[in-house]
Amino acid sequence: MALLTPELQAMIGRQVHYPAREAFGHASIRYFALAMHDDNPLYVDEDYAKAAGYPGIIAPPTLVCETCQYAHRVPDADGYIGHEWHLPVPGCRMIRAGNDYAFTRPVLATDRISVTWTLESMVEKPSSRGGMQLFVMSVATYNDAQGHTVATNREALVFQPLVPHAQTQP
Amino acid sequence: MPEQAHTFTEVDLVAYGAATWDWHRLHYDQAHAQAKQLPGVLIDGQAFGAVFAREAMRWAGPTAFIQRMGLKMKSMAFAGDHLVARGHVTAIEKREGQWVVQIDQQLMCGDRLVAQAISEIQLDKA
Repeated sequence: MALLTPELQAMIGRQVHYPAREAFGHASIRYFALAMHDDNPLYVDEDYAKAAGYPGIIAPPTLVCETCQYAHRVPDADGYIGHEWHLPVPGCRMIRAGNDYAFTRPVLATDRISVTWTLESMVEKPSSRGGMQLFVMSVATYNDAQGHTVATNREALVFQPLVPHAQTQP
Repeated sequence: MPEQAHTFTEVDLVAYGAATWDWHRLHYDQAHAQAKQLPGVLIDGQAFGAVFAREAMRWAGPTAFIQRMGLKMKSMAFAGDHLVARGHVTAIEKREGQWVVQIDQQLMCGDRLVAQAISEIQLDKA
């Protein structure tokens, strides 16, 4: 049975926009730095950041792509509140394969960042475990209050059948 | 680049999940993880990117700017796993008057590759 159904194919190109609800925030940046045991003063010391040439405190590089701060909903049964496509792929487990980040400038604590997720493509490929697996490529675009893109996050998720299809096993 | 050990404790995973607004049970709920047949609470794969970025910024200095990072997850890691980040420079070139270095980083758990990142860093952005 094909994983890439017409129902899934019809979802390609879908977009969801999350407007900025507040500034990125000094507290969010300091919290993340503490969680990551990151003692870089760029993230907590305004004077140090300015001396290094920035307008003020900046965020650790990947934080903008890692945080679900854009979200505003009740957590689902797994506790998750971030963006999801709710793809109908029954009998599969989802695995994160990778992320390609591109940054155009550091994110400032004062930035208001909106996020737009786009479902770019879905491709079915053979799995080394036998059977087929579904690769889902999405891109998140992070824009500042002026509409300039500060980062993009191209994300690859893989849906693997929990029991590989018998006739496709090696 | 110097090697750097990092062990995510259960407390670290709670803190990381809260700091990134990611409250998925897999990252702190032992019973939930066991029900998913996992040996422990799972480290969020994107946290590996944060480790790579932290080490890259420590190495490159306060005026450096990561332009790109290609992050690949290779295997799962769990709270308590002893992870070691390592990396090396693979290229350096001048683009539009600015020095840009490419680095290749790996996150290891013993002999097992957990994640890999290839990044491009502008050395003097600020």
